Amino acid sequence: MLARVVRIAVVVALLALTVTLALAFRRDPHDIKTGTVLKPAPTFTLQRLDGSGEVSLADLSGKVVVVNFFASWCLPCTQENPALVRVYERYRGSDVVLLGVNLQESRENGLAYVQRMGMGWATLADDDGRVALSYGVFGPPETFFIGPDGVIAGRHIGPIDEATLVTAIETLRARAVR
Amino acid sequence: MNGRIAIAIALVALAGALVFAARPHDITADERIDQITTELRCPVCQGLSVKDSTSETARQIRDLVAQRVREGRSNAEIQAEFRAAYGDWIFLSPPVASWSGLIWLVPIFALVAGLVLVTGRLRTIDAPRPAEPSATQVAALRERVAREEAAEG
Repeated sequence: MLARVVRIAVVVALLALTVTLALAFRRDPHDIKTGTVLKPAPTFTLQRLDGSGEVSLADLSGKVVVVNFFASWCLPCTQENPALVRVYERYRGSDVVLLGVNLQESRENGLAYVQRMGMGWATLADDDGRVALSYGVFGPPETFFIGPDGVIAGRHIGPIDEATLVTAIETLRARAVR
Repeated sequence: MNGRIAIAIALVALAGALVFAARPHDITADERIDQITTELRCPVCQGLSVKDSTSETARQIRDLVAQRVREGRSNAEIQAEFRAAYGDWIFLSPPVASWSGLIWLVPIFALVAGLVLVTGRLRTIDAPRPAEPSATQVAALRERVAREEAAEG
């Protein structure tokens, strides 16, 4: 009798494992909802790469903020940059703010990359990596979407495309209007 | 006799060394940093701890842990800061008091299930086989079968 119960338990456990794996493999690996997602965005104040002052996240309250972590040595960052440039031009002067956070390199290298790639948005120096660590960044490129309420609504790991950027931004803008 | 004395001295020395090594002592800041970073997973490595990794990200995490230790934060507070950013994934060993801690139950469950299965199988093997029917019982059964066949015609 007990052996039968154990056999049934083993079958149930294997089925549970199979369902868990099936659900896990269906998940988009670029959209990992762990750590900081759906929580208030860690605040930060960082200097601009070009030395023209600081940017504080607290000053952007009420706006949709897209924070993109990048580095010049990161090839996928170069690949995603045209999409970021198009999205920046599309929402320039609106309630959407794009911030670039430069990681793990000298400010000189970061600034040279920004100028070479035509990044017109605010690009900031995370010299000691503290901001990246507070957001739970694995490595560049990573993009976080912060709603007007200051909560991280989503996160994209790896190079991002224009459609994903626009969809995430418009979802947050629509939510803000409601 | 000399051999016994030598063995006794060796045992006493061993016990003394163990007691000395296990004595309660104040843990240094460096030991705390090592302890914490040994348990943290390097985010950009394959199964390496922050302490063992030479990556820039691991170096930045070590610097942050060192600063938090200098600020007087407890180990639990420092771990909570990394958990808030990365989730339980950041720990090389899943914390027991969490959903991922259920993983620790798997070997226990497997052991119990295996023991129950083996015990059940052994009982089946050891169970006494039913005794052979006696000649009288066989004769009675044959007579009954013959009677029922005759009745069915």
